[in-house]
Amino acid sequence: MSNGREPQVIDTFLALTDTLTRDFDALDMLTTLSESCVELLDVSAAGVILADGQGGLSVAAASSERTRLLSVFAVAIDAGPCVDCVRTGLPVISEDLRTPTARQRWPRYVSGADEAGFRATHALPMRLRDDVIGVLTLLHTDHHALTDADTRLGQALADAATIGLLHERAVRHAETVQEQLQGALNSRVIIEQAKGVLAGSTALAPEDAFTVLRSHARGQGIRLTDLARGVVDGTIDLTSVVRPAL
Amino acid sequence: MRERLQQVCVVTVHVVGVDGAGVTVMGSVEAGLDGHRDQLAATGGLARRLEDLQLTAGEGPCLDAFREGRPVLIPDLAGESGRWLGFGPEAVGAGAAAVFSLPLQVGAIRLGTFDLHRRTAGPLTDEQLADALAMATLATEALLELAEQDGPPDPGGGREVAAGWLPDVHADVHAASGMVSAQTGSDVRSALLHIRAHAFGSGEPIHEVARRIIDRDLTFPLPDDNGPGHGPTAPDEEGEP
Repeated sequence: MSNGREPQVIDTFLALTDTLTRDFDALDMLTTLSESCVELLDVSAAGVILADGQGGLSVAAASSERTRLLSVFAVAIDAGPCVDCVRTGLPVISEDLRTPTARQRWPRYVSGADEAGFRATHALPMRLRDDVIGVLTLLHTDHHALTDADTRLGQALADAATIGLLHERAVRHAETVQEQLQGALNSRVIIEQAKGVLAGSTALAPEDAFTVLRSHARGQGIRLTDLARGVVDGTIDLTSVVRPAL
Repeated sequence: MRERLQQVCVVTVHVVGVDGAGVTVMGSVEAGLDGHRDQLAATGGLARRLEDLQLTAGEGPCLDAFREGRPVLIPDLAGESGRWLGFGPEAVGAGAAAVFSLPLQVGAIRLGTFDLHRRTAGPLTDEQLADALAMATLATEALLELAEQDGPPDPGGGREVAAGWLPDVHADVHAASGMVSAQTGSDVRSALLHIRAHAFGSGEPIHEVARRIIDRDLTFPLPDDNGPGHGPTAPDEEGEP
């Protein structure tokens, strides 16, 4: 796993920081980050949680849209390792959530993760100087220790994604990273609405609708957020999006 | 509802520490930005003047915030003179030193902007921005309901809905709004209000209503089939789609 992954690692770093292309989309990039973690690191699932600017956290992207994974993140934004990671700015590693220590520290998170079948959680901070703008969350279905190499690579991927966000900010003349984060979080809402529109118009489940949207955006060279907005506004013909997928 | 928007502006001036605030509703970009646009609330002359300038110049922070769907925070307007050649110098001349425009939106539902200004330059602190975002959510909620008053009544049984529901609306509710929108042929804004009205009317938590919609255990009838007065139906009554 460690030696054969270099070419893929390089491609991933390029993808996370490729902000000069016209179709750069923060939400798409954070989804790529989550997926890459599952491919490159020995973890079962991953996701990105962002600070919402009001002292809370919000789910931005995940390695899959499966309900059980999203349900873990729904708890993670309220309590658990991710919240601790944002507060301290330090990685929070829990190899086994079933230990009494973990249960005592995060009772609600542990039972949520357990219900969804996850046993280990590693939260890596996305830092900008003194601020923590988000958390890269790595989940494992088993008792799991993150190797030193994987911890470093995970943190480097989180940093690269943060740099990507910052660089896009410079390109688009945004003054603060909060402008970026707010935009990314609203993109997430648009994507949820678009998942619903596709699911309501077809027999697709919302979680599969996301895959359809993303591959269509890729195939057509459209920004994921623009495609999702077009689907919700009715300015994009749904049959052109759905038919190739069926 | 306009009074509520005015209150939001007045409270914002005190809480956030700005010199003025205004709420502007806008038509969609597709329909043309100058097609439909109205400042519904403003705390004073400068807030109104800044809106007039952006209307005349066809550019400015509120238009950018609306179009890009994210805040536009300009702590030093004089130092950003190149960004809006028409609006910038005029706004500085009128007395605005810093402008902060927050989009009023729920995903793809774009309603307008919340525009704050200061007569002295300087950024919003993290706490001030947090307060401004919270006030923007209140303004968004008021605008959603304002639009509702103009539209067809929704099946909430005329029950008064308590303010402050929007911050609790998360991912599942947005996905469910999309599904209801597709199933009823209404826009996603009406769909969101339908779901909210159903939740308040039945006393069921809005997330549980959303979950049932996503699981296709709860569908809303087409308005043309049953009229707006009818509630949603379970699939065993009308069959799976």
